[in-house]
Amino acid sequence: MNLVQQLINGIVLGHAYALVAIGWTVLLGVARLVNFGHGQIYMLAAFVTWWAAMPLGLPYPVAILVAVGAGILIGLVMQAAMLRLTITQDLVSIMIVTLGFGHLMRGVAGLVFGGNPQVLETPLSYVDFEVAGAWVTAQDIAVIIACILFFLLLHFGLERGSLGRTARMVAEDPKLAQLAGINIKRVYFAVFAFEGAAVALAAALVAPRTPILTSIGFEEVIITFVVVVLGGIGSVAGSYVAGIGLGIFTALFGGFVSPAYATTAAFAVLMVVLVLRPGGLSLGAGKAVR
Amino acid sequence: MTAPVLEARGLRVAHGGHVALDIPHLAIAPGELVGVVGANGAGKSTLVNALLGWSRGTPVVEGKVRLAGEEIGALPTHARVARGLTLVPEGGAVFYRLSVAENIAAARPPAGSGRRGHDEAEIFALFPRLRERLHHLASALSGGERQMLAIARALRLGPRVLLLDEPSIGLAPRLVVEVLRTVRGLVGPDLSVLLVEQNVRAAIEVVDRLVLLERGRILAEGPTEAMRDDPRILSAYLGEAVA
Repeated sequence: MNLVQQLINGIVLGHAYALVAIGWTVLLGVARLVNFGHGQIYMLAAFVTWWAAMPLGLPYPVAILVAVGAGILIGLVMQAAMLRLTITQDLVSIMIVTLGFGHLMRGVAGLVFGGNPQVLETPLSYVDFEVAGAWVTAQDIAVIIACILFFLLLHFGLERGSLGRTARMVAEDPKLAQLAGINIKRVYFAVFAFEGAAVALAAALVAPRTPILTSIGFEEVIITFVVVVLGGIGSVAGSYVAGIGLGIFTALFGGFVSPAYATTAAFAVLMVVLVLRPGGLSLGAGKAVR
Repeated sequence: MTAPVLEARGLRVAHGGHVALDIPHLAIAPGELVGVVGANGAGKSTLVNALLGWSRGTPVVEGKVRLAGEEIGALPTHARVARGLTLVPEGGAVFYRLSVAENIAAARPPAGSGRRGHDEAEIFALFPRLRERLHHLASALSGGERQMLAIARALRLGPRVLLLDEPSIGLAPRLVVEVLRTVRGLVGPDLSVLLVEQNVRAAIEVVDRLVLLERGRILAEGPTEAMRDDPRILSAYLGEAVA
């Protein structure tokens, strides 16, 4: 087994994990909310990208934009349905409603796109590079670049700007934020639209690596959960580091021990970390997005 | 009489079936400092919260609220704040995970409102202590400093009417006098204040008019000088025997 290849796989996988998890990082950090339909938005956005790029024949970048648009729409519809629950921070009901949305999306995807697996071929999938005896595709590099750019954008836009301050105010105390003149409904809609857009972008970039099925999404939401919790809930930098770490760990464990138990091992790591460091791995662990 | 800057009519708040507040009419003139006093549970906080349509619970609020002639009773809280009605809730509520500087910077009047909020220099002139604590997290502040920060944040919004809910609660007696004197100094043609205060003895020294609440209803109201001799105030709040 080639160690360099496994490391490269791990780095790509890690960036994919971080990219898939970014919406949840903001959702949980800003709104103190969860979305268990996250994985199904990923699945649906992957299908939308495939549909736009393959049957419709749109250029891949346009297909990505179509998927992101779909993600935003799904996020807005979900938030519109749950607005009352969001404002009262009724987490149990929100979990159930988002799980319900997830099943609904799976049903809709089955009806619209059928039960057959689809493969999304992009111009980047066919371009390979050799790095120190290991292979990496242009699609993999696109995942890494998009992930780094997205995290930098979040770091400077959300953590340092007034937008981030507004988000942190709503995260800490939505009622008090109203007294500062903040329209919290607008913030919650924006956060859910962002979550939908972020996971759709991740799907459009990551999905070409694997066949697209209506059953995908569950593993993505589990991995997302691990990344967000490991990174320290709401910590943007923490999620990035946790994503990369988890990707490398999964690739090495899969390559040198057993791919079948890689997710199990990831959960074992999560449990150990949470016992030793309940706030996650990041320096600012446990803080709101900052 | 000058048109009131803030006026409430038929303001009624119910929690479940229980009516917690029933105020037929209440008005504040421009440049006026009105004190609302009453025992625990009299409805003081319920009153200021209802004026702003704000609550940590889910009460049913009815009635009309006019700010500078505009009906705002149906507007959400953030929209009332944008129009110039601001509340500093009980306990000097601040954003604990934000620094003092961020708490101050977070508030400003909406663009196009024509109102001007206090700038940083004015804030630090009022509360020099905040300048010294500028880069500390608000969670590291003392109770008095948090109260100052909460008032500072409200002033940054350039309010027409400032609702202050028990700013003296938990403060040392010397600080109470200091805070209330500061509040008195804020009042002017562009800013009126409705001050909820349990410390009647301290409040009566600074307010222009006093409203006495009991069980959610106005029991008495009038200019401070007249209310100072009101037997209900004397016996219940100033601890003086009434002949």
